[in-house]
Amino acid sequence: MPDAKDIAKLYEPKTSTIITAEPQVSLARFSPCGKLLVGGGYDARVRRWNVAAEGMPELPALEGHHGWVEGLAFRAEGELLFTADSWGQICCWSGYTEDKPAVKWKLDQAHDGWVRTLAVNPDGKSVASCASDRCIRIWSAEDGAKQFEFPQSEFGNLCLKYAPDGTLLTGDDRGIVRHWKADGTLIRQFDASSLYVLSRLQDVGGVFALALDKEAKTLAVGGTKPVNGGTVVGVPTILLFDLATGEQKQKYDLGTQNDCYVADLQFHDDDFLSAVTYGTPGSGQLIYLKAEEKAPLLTYKQMQNCHSLSWHPDGKRLAVAATNGGSNGNGRPVDKEGKYKGNNSPIHVFTFST
Amino acid sequence: MNPLCKPWEHALSRRQLLGAAAGVAGSLGLSNLLHPVAAADMQKKAKQVLFIWIDGGMSQLESWDPKPNTLFGGPFRAIPTSVPGIHVSELVPRSAKIMQHLAIVRSLCTQDNSHSAGVARIQRGDPKNRGVTYPYFGSAVAKLLGAGTSGLPPYVWIKPGSSGFIHQDAGFLGPKFGAVAFGDGKPPENLVLHDSVTPADDDERNVLRAAANARYAKNRRKQVGEATSYVYDVARTLMKRQDLFDTTKFDPKDVERYGTHEFGRHMLQARKMLEAGVTFVKVNSYGWDTHGDNFNGHLSLMPKFDQAFAAMVQDLADRSMLDNVLVIAMSEFGRTPRINGHIGRDHWPEAWSLVMTGCGIKRGLAVGETNAEGTWVKNQEFDIGHMFHTWFTALGIDPAQTQYDNGGQPLPIAHDGCHAVKELLS
Repeated sequence: MPDAKDIAKLYEPKTSTIITAEPQVSLARFSPCGKLLVGGGYDARVRRWNVAAEGMPELPALEGHHGWVEGLAFRAEGELLFTADSWGQICCWSGYTEDKPAVKWKLDQAHDGWVRTLAVNPDGKSVASCASDRCIRIWSAEDGAKQFEFPQSEFGNLCLKYAPDGTLLTGDDRGIVRHWKADGTLIRQFDASSLYVLSRLQDVGGVFALALDKEAKTLAVGGTKPVNGGTVVGVPTILLFDLATGEQKQKYDLGTQNDCYVADLQFHDDDFLSAVTYGTPGSGQLIYLKAEEKAPLLTYKQMQNCHSLSWHPDGKRLAVAATNGGSNGNGRPVDKEGKYKGNNSPIHVFTFST
Repeated sequence: MNPLCKPWEHALSRRQLLGAAAGVAGSLGLSNLLHPVAAADMQKKAKQVLFIWIDGGMSQLESWDPKPNTLFGGPFRAIPTSVPGIHVSELVPRSAKIMQHLAIVRSLCTQDNSHSAGVARIQRGDPKNRGVTYPYFGSAVAKLLGAGTSGLPPYVWIKPGSSGFIHQDAGFLGPKFGAVAFGDGKPPENLVLHDSVTPADDDERNVLRAAANARYAKNRRKQVGEATSYVYDVARTLMKRQDLFDTTKFDPKDVERYGTHEFGRHMLQARKMLEAGVTFVKVNSYGWDTHGDNFNGHLSLMPKFDQAFAAMVQDLADRSMLDNVLVIAMSEFGRTPRINGHIGRDHWPEAWSLVMTGCGIKRGLAVGETNAEGTWVKNQEFDIGHMFHTWFTALGIDPAQTQYDNGGQPLPIAHDGCHAVKELLS
């Protein structure tokens, strides 16, 4: 296991291949088999790139969703891909590496509203979802039958994650993380309410990302320490908790108020935490942290507005979905042909020679 | 006889104000200003305005002009309304249920994409530049409709933050037509007479004050003395109407219906002000400039707006007040279709929406159309000048026949290159 000093060198983001996704994707994840990078975003399509092939060509997109696709989760067995959209639909695709994966099952109204996150139980038998309808539901991975529903919460949940033992962690839009047994019994609450503020009428912030280390001892919670609503500003913040006791072990303030949100978190097998941030257009950070270190091991600012990160199963590749430069601007930005242009997501795929 | 009014012909003296409770609308000299038929009608049925200002820019795509499942449509669905064929964002379900009362304009195309210039430009109606500062809509209505019979100030502004007398709104009309702002809906400080002051003492003090005022005003511009006096008179009237500010006495059911948040409380207070006879009530909501986190922002903001707005419109309808009260909800512009890297939308004056209802307005319709991706107006664009023409006409004020008199300079009350939108008028 490399020590803290080595990590920044070993995983220094230098050489990347860029895949451009137009329009933007909210997230891009490597499949557990490592062959695909899958993205979901603003045009209701599920995008797939064959990262095992030269040039990482794009495979046909999966269609049938609506609004935004922000739920993506895999089960290696049977090559199942679970996707969810902002209109409440969840879909299970089988054979996700094939040109035309089959729809194994589909729930048009799994939720009444925006599905934020999907997660597959480590036993592979079920899939959890949370949405803006304040519901957390568990579905059979095989046929989509509803297996369990947690009591409707007072506030919306933004993210969830399974622990290796099949217990579930959920993070809400008020900054509270809850740890649940599969039967809905609450094990513990983690107070991350510093990631939330009521600014005039607007509830701002909440838990934007959750991660567990390999041993499932440390829980990482990401978001922002918000200052105000409207144009949200706040310092990107990560809180580390002891999963067993609920004790907060560490707090990281990761930049300025313009850097704003920690959007995604993932522990690497080499025992460091990686995070990406987005804020005022143009800002963006990739950050490495180690629990026992007070300062980041690495802060890389060459990408703009990073919305997700995903480590390849081999641990030697990293995909970061960012945003093109000049993504903002008031009024009528048109190209030379007078066409109104949207934005795109450069997905940076870094390769490390560890 | 010069058909144009002179500002001093509309002097609102203390005596007139204090005597207003007895019904002295005629003493405001309205008939000199307006078309006689309209003025007579207005005196029969006092017209009022509720102007809801969503400061920073509500997204048209997350409210009145959704483009679900399109490139820039965002994550939300569209829902049907009580009017077949009209859909709005899922974030305004309560407004959707009362669409039969509402008129949506989806084809606004205005001139300014900055807050600093846009707020004033929109609220002044963006008239042609004639080298003068035009009044905000509230001041214009205060001038053109007068104070009514309530004795209350004709233009009040319920807003978060500080209180004060916002004379700047009045532009060339003079400070008297400025806004009386109630910060967080609270009354002016020291409104209650000290216990040691008896009514008789108070009367005596006022005689003394009047004499001092007269002496002060003798060698000064008339407008200055009038404005000073006016503010004092307004304060005296407000002293008698503390019920408008005591939110603890508001019906708890109303509080629940409007929302326990700041905007709900301010809207409920606005209804009380309208019921009390205030001519123009402006309610501000701040914090809508969602360059970052637009979608979570609107997911949180819109339901609160929707709750209070729908409760207000329903209450006005139930009280038969919609025939007299013009209700407008709008911002200084909309928000960009394209979504920036902060998951926000920027400023967009090119194709945006507002909603209105009430007196003189046809209800249950959506006027204007944007293209499939919501980037441009498809048919006729309407500027704010068109809205001012429409609103004045709806209030019974004919913009073609009514002019301001700025010290002898005749000025149109709305942009003379625009016109009322006929489809919107009942």
